[in-house]
Amino acid sequence: MQSKRWMMLMAMGLVCVVALSGCKKKTTSGNAGDNGIGGVTGTDVNGTGLGNRPDLGATEMAGQFVPVYFDYDSAQVKESERSKVETVAEQLKKASGGGVIVEGHCDERGSREYNLSLGERRAQAVRAYLMTLSVDAARIQTKSMGKEKPVALGHDEESWAKNRRVEFVLFK
Amino acid sequence: MGKYFGWLSVFQGLEIGVGVFSKAWKMVLVLLIAALPAPAQVRVVKGGSAKATIDWSRLVATGGAATEFKRVLEDDLIHSGWFTPAAPGGAEFSLVGAAQESGALNATIQFASVIQRQWLLSKQYTAESGAARRLAHKVADEILAAIGRKGMFSGRIVMIGTHSGAKELYVCDMDGGNLSQITHDNNICLGPHWAPDGNRLTYTAFLKRYPDVYLIDLAARSRRVVASYPGMNSGGAISPDGTLVALILSKDGYQALYVRALNGGVPVRLTEGSRAALASPCWSPDGSHLVYVSDQASTAHPQLYVISRSGGAPRRLTSRGSQNVAPSWGANGLITYASLQGRFQVCVLDPNTLDSKVVTPGDADYEDPSWAPDGRHIICSRTAGYRSRIYLLDTLGDSPVALSEFSGDWYSPSVTAK
Repeated sequence: MQSKRWMMLMAMGLVCVVALSGCKKKTTSGNAGDNGIGGVTGTDVNGTGLGNRPDLGATEMAGQFVPVYFDYDSAQVKESERSKVETVAEQLKKASGGGVIVEGHCDERGSREYNLSLGERRAQAVRAYLMTLSVDAARIQTKSMGKEKPVALGHDEESWAKNRRVEFVLFK
Repeated sequence: MGKYFGWLSVFQGLEIGVGVFSKAWKMVLVLLIAALPAPAQVRVVKGGSAKATIDWSRLVATGGAATEFKRVLEDDLIHSGWFTPAAPGGAEFSLVGAAQESGALNATIQFASVIQRQWLLSKQYTAESGAARRLAHKVADEILAAIGRKGMFSGRIVMIGTHSGAKELYVCDMDGGNLSQITHDNNICLGPHWAPDGNRLTYTAFLKRYPDVYLIDLAARSRRVVASYPGMNSGGAISPDGTLVALILSKDGYQALYVRALNGGVPVRLTEGSRAALASPCWSPDGSHLVYVSDQASTAHPQLYVISRSGGAPRRLTSRGSQNVAPSWGANGLITYASLQGRFQVCVLDPNTLDSKVVTPGDADYEDPSWAPDGRHIICSRTAGYRSRIYLLDTLGDSPVALSEFSGDWYSPSVTAK
């Protein structure tokens, strides 16, 4: 019958298209696609502009908080890392004035210029989460150091995992 | 089309089974061919390019500067890829002359086609003794012009080196010689790119503890801020007419590609708001488009996109390789870039057909390619054992060549347009 043959042809065609296009990979991010906080299609895509940077003379305090760590192919705040950001949010809400610089970093692999931007993505993801925790956008600065300031110098996953991070620097 | 025929014969087998070659089959075939994956990527066959033989046994040099002139000239002619030195008798070209130093450097050059029995270049040159290298580069380019080829030796390379113990900018000639240190900041810097005039360059530096874009004027020995907006400032690609600068900025809460007058004003956003990481904008030779890097398709898997300078929908250029980064758009219309295929390889892509070819041997990580002024060679960094050096690549099949060696790591090269 004409319509049955047509359906069989289209079904075979569909199978072939799927087989031939198998090289194209969908996102491999492990966190339920790229829809989470900081994901490419995440909330707040239009963004809230950054306020002015703190003056060069402002007091800055690093090392007050535990860094947030990221998976290799991710710029999203994992669920297991969220409490670290929540701690920062609580601290900021206790003290008025001043704010935090959210400093994004990458591991040593890949293009320096792209890694500068990937580090900025990680910083932006943490900033977005702080904002959902009601921290005022104007109090959060982002800064990326790309792959230029590793804390671990080994050429292995143990070091790379320590370098894929966001650090918090309070300023007044 | 060769790889398509295998599939066609499978379908023909199916059609015999079905028993009908109907219009529906033709439509399915058209759909399937349209859905086949990326355009061809060809690996350049190694074995060296075709070269003309040249006899320079009667090019005589007397004195230190003259000897340096002769050596640099001969090395340039070899590195151009168009010549190979040969013994007297039987060479296709001859280079005869004398260079001597007596106060100034004087050189008489006579370059001939032996086959055509014709002088192609017959000229006298004078330069200060300290300018022997520059004169050699100039003569090399003139000899190449005499055989109808564009030379690359007027070009200069800016790059980052850790020779001093910190990351600083350096400039050198196309053969790696004449190295000079440009910055003394003892600070982090990245992404140097020449302005079209070859006298100024932009780069990203953390002089105020944030990534900002600066413009250095080498002749005036001055530096000024180009972009220091809140958040990240990077890119700093000056348009071919020298009036605009393309920037990646995160000031609006997300990263986007912007274009602004170089000397100030309000940046105009070209890309839609998204959480993607954008990097490395580079202008087309006619200034009508920009190629840039974006990971919008998949985090940590950046690809190349092209967009009109007036904005609109970007078009994706790359599909092969898990990362495609660091594009350089040559005057020849081709884009060279680094592609992660196991290791980083340097590739050359035609943005019209999307066909690409790999021009590196795959034995190390080759990154940050930049076109040489001859449109044939590419300068890049090569990293092996976590040490980086600057290399000269050939798109016509010659093997990669290391440029002069100094201690430290050398990377992120950018070559002047001319």
